Amino acid sequence: MSELELVDITRSYGDTTALDDVSFRVEDGEFFTLVGPSGCGKTTTLRTVAGFESPDAGTVRIDGESVTGVPPEERDIGVVFQNYALFPHMTVAENVAYGLRFRDPPGDVSREGRVTELLSLVDLDGFEDRDPDELSGGQQQRIALARALAPGPELLLLDEPMSALDARLRKTLRRQLQTIQSELGVTTLYVTHDQDEALAISDRLAVMNGGRIEQIGPPRDVYRRPATRFVATFLGENNVFEGPVTDAPASDGEHSLLTVSDTTVRIPRVDADRALVCVRPEALTVGGGVNELHADVGESEFLGGAVRIHLRWNGRDLVALADRSPENGSAVVSFDPSDVQVITTDAGRLAEDPPSR
Amino acid sequence: MASEGASRRATGLTRRGYQWVRERSLPIAALVAGSVLLVVFYFPVAVVFLEGVVVDGLPSLAPLRGVLTDPFYVGVLADLFSRPTAVGDHLDSLFRWAATGFSRPSLGLIGFTGYQALLSTVASVAIGLPGAYILARYEFRGRRLLRSLTILPFVLPGIMVAIGFFAMFSTNGPLNALLGVFGVGPVEMLFTLEIIVLAHAFYNAPLVARLATAAWEGVDARTIETARSLGASRRRAFFDVLAPQLAPAVLAGAVLTFVFTFRTFPIVLALGGLEMATIEVWIFSRIQQLDLTTAAALAIVETVISIGVLALYLRFESRQYGAGQAPTQIDREPLLPSLRALFRPSRVAISVYGVFVAVLFIGPMASMIAESLTGPNGLTLSHYAFLFDRQSGGTAFQIKPWPAVRNSLLFAGATLVIALPTGIVVAVRRVRGDRGGVLLDVLATAPLAVSGIVLGIGLLRGLVFGLPLPGGWRLQVTGGVAVVAAHAAATYPFVVRNVAPAVGGVDLSLVESARALGASRVRAMVDVELPLAVAGIVAGAAFAVAISIGEFNSTVILAEGGDYYTMPVAVERYLGDRTLGPATAMGTVLLAVTSASFVVIDRVGGGRGDRL
Repeated sequence: MSELELVDITRSYGDTTALDDVSFRVEDGEFFTLVGPSGCGKTTTLRTVAGFESPDAGTVRIDGESVTGVPPEERDIGVVFQNYALFPHMTVAENVAYGLRFRDPPGDVSREGRVTELLSLVDLDGFEDRDPDELSGGQQQRIALARALAPGPELLLLDEPMSALDARLRKTLRRQLQTIQSELGVTTLYVTHDQDEALAISDRLAVMNGGRIEQIGPPRDVYRRPATRFVATFLGENNVFEGPVTDAPASDGEHSLLTVSDTTVRIPRVDADRALVCVRPEALTVGGGVNELHADVGESEFLGGAVRIHLRWNGRDLVALADRSPENGSAVVSFDPSDVQVITTDAGRLAEDPPSR
Repeated sequence: MASEGASRRATGLTRRGYQWVRERSLPIAALVAGSVLLVVFYFPVAVVFLEGVVVDGLPSLAPLRGVLTDPFYVGVLADLFSRPTAVGDHLDSLFRWAATGFSRPSLGLIGFTGYQALLSTVASVAIGLPGAYILARYEFRGRRLLRSLTILPFVLPGIMVAIGFFAMFSTNGPLNALLGVFGVGPVEMLFTLEIIVLAHAFYNAPLVARLATAAWEGVDARTIETARSLGASRRRAFFDVLAPQLAPAVLAGAVLTFVFTFRTFPIVLALGGLEMATIEVWIFSRIQQLDLTTAAALAIVETVISIGVLALYLRFESRQYGAGQAPTQIDREPLLPSLRALFRPSRVAISVYGVFVAVLFIGPMASMIAESLTGPNGLTLSHYAFLFDRQSGGTAFQIKPWPAVRNSLLFAGATLVIALPTGIVVAVRRVRGDRGGVLLDVLATAPLAVSGIVLGIGLLRGLVFGLPLPGGWRLQVTGGVAVVAAHAAATYPFVVRNVAPAVGGVDLSLVESARALGASRVRAMVDVELPLAVAGIVAGAAFAVAISIGEFNSTVILAEGGDYYTMPVAVERYLGDRTLGPATAMGTVLLAVTSASFVVIDRVGGGRGDRL
């Protein structure tokens, strides 16, 4: 098995910079996800790793060796595309066996044996003689996965493999993919625009935006401590507050005061004049507490396990998750300082961010 | 009171009747379209075929047996057909043939027709495929224009192409003039098999190129990338993944070429004469000798073979992958990134091919125009003057140019009025209908398999000569109406084949929304499907007009001795005169008119019509 490393990859098309100094490292057997909105450069990154695109600058290393100039067929990879790209003129078995024309199956099995093995791995035993167009989307997706895995590649590259499927199926296949990946221990680079999927499936993930990597880390860390405003609002919902900072009176050294629209709230200590902070909807509770906000209650949505409540506070939209919806009219919501995510204390960086709406 | 109730009941009845019609509006429209086809196509063809199987009012296989056992028609197979049970003798002659080292067997007329069609198919694929490769793999200025130009030869009238080849390859044509510069020649190139094959390639190589290019553009680039990621080299990926996806389109193009060249007529008539006679030419000659029985028997044999091959085409067509645009198209490489690239081997090969193609396609048309402007003493307009003279001073039995132009346009317009609605109804029914799909496919394609000559005879004998009806009535039409009927039958498959994919591209939920809002099925078709499929409809209409203007086979029969001749017929008649001049002048007029309809296909059709 193997590691993947990208060092300062840069790629532009004409005047647009698709990739801007992209660097990251995927450990042996790790499930690593690139997540970001469409056009953020995540697919270009995957295609650069596969060898379908060449970077203007920077190096891709597989197992410590640079693969610059190495054509895709010599990189020992398996790729699954968004539309699966099954060969329409071949049967399922022929599709899965195609890579075995060029590489011997791993272990001591025949090609036919390997095909049977892979089909059973993706729960499609007995599908050998079907044509691709006889299969459902989910089945096609699993065949594409079996085909990519058949030669036992060092690297598995998945480009939005779930995005054409419905939500329920996506969740099932997601779990199946996770099981297969950890069983085989194949190093995996996964590209998606779906933040829920990225959070659920990855060992680590990188959030991309505008050709740059905004943050890398395990899903829990990135969700709890977003490094930028973009990450804070892209991964899950968030309530963003921004304003001048003063020291807390009776300072215990652990808290600062943030003033937002004439309201002062207690936040973790910040060594700056201004700050941008976030509070997750699940941390915004209906009822009194340390930091109280008097908000107007708008529509609420029943989600099954919880209720999402839309609030209007001093000209801003806020979102809270609660067990039940409050009475219409106004309500007091509050949050604990320990639940506040301080995104940045850097005033210079703040100026670059778009103003909050 | 009673009368009021009765009238209410009556309104109820009419309303229910109206409802009944409304709900079945589309099948009823299809029924009307079917009746039109019955009159203009199936009935006349049946009239001819009956001629081949009925002798003196009794069914008989004698005419067919006569054809199939005559070595003149079937060559060495005559013995096999006349004594099918003498297996020993046949094996014996097979061994003797093997002993001679498979000497070239006598093919007979039918065998020769198939042989020249096969050669033409091979030539068309060989010339067309490199074109598809260049159009699909490289990006260059004028690529899109060139891609749409591939439709042009198909709509050019056969007789005009023949005149162009005549002008280019005759002993005093430009090609022999060029050879003369090198001290070679003059070489007689007309009336050879090679020239016929080349003229057929002029027609069909662009067709093959067009179908293959469309298939190429429909291949998902990701399938190639997947093959590469699995370890296939660029070459392997081409042969393993790309080529098999192109194969059905190339085979479809080849089979279509075979069908078209199997029943070729004006090209062989003008460039080969009776020496190179194909079945179609021989049927024509039999008819002129008034030997209708043999003609009918030959027509049956020809149609059976054509339909068999066409069934093969439908099979390949349905097997084509990726209908329409691929999710990700294969990138095109710039043809000339720099001037130095011109010297790469691939670019040198492309240049050589480009010159060959330019000579093959521009040469005949340019030669025809040049010939029409050239006299014994250099540049002249005398051939065009001849057309004017003939118009003002010609005698009654001579062919005049203006009636030819007028008839062509009039017939084309009338053809459109019949073929367009019929084609649209069949196309919509074919795309949306859940029953009778295969039957409709056959109904829609059958006119492609039946030759214009056969249809012409059928219309002449069935409708022009008149048909007694019960009650002392008589169904009889004039030659002009018969010409329009023949053109409508010949052109409506092209309307179907252009409209059907366009209608198929309209989301059915749009139609369902219209119906949920209160529109009848036909109303939904008129309000929703047809406006969205307008590009396909216009392309189909342009095809119908262009093919009607160029139609020769049935027109030449129906125009015999009457005033219903069209431009292609006029060209052929003028060809009979001693000089090429007047024919080329008339041909140039014809080229101008057909090119105008091509411009319509291209401008409005916007790249549609890939399926022909």
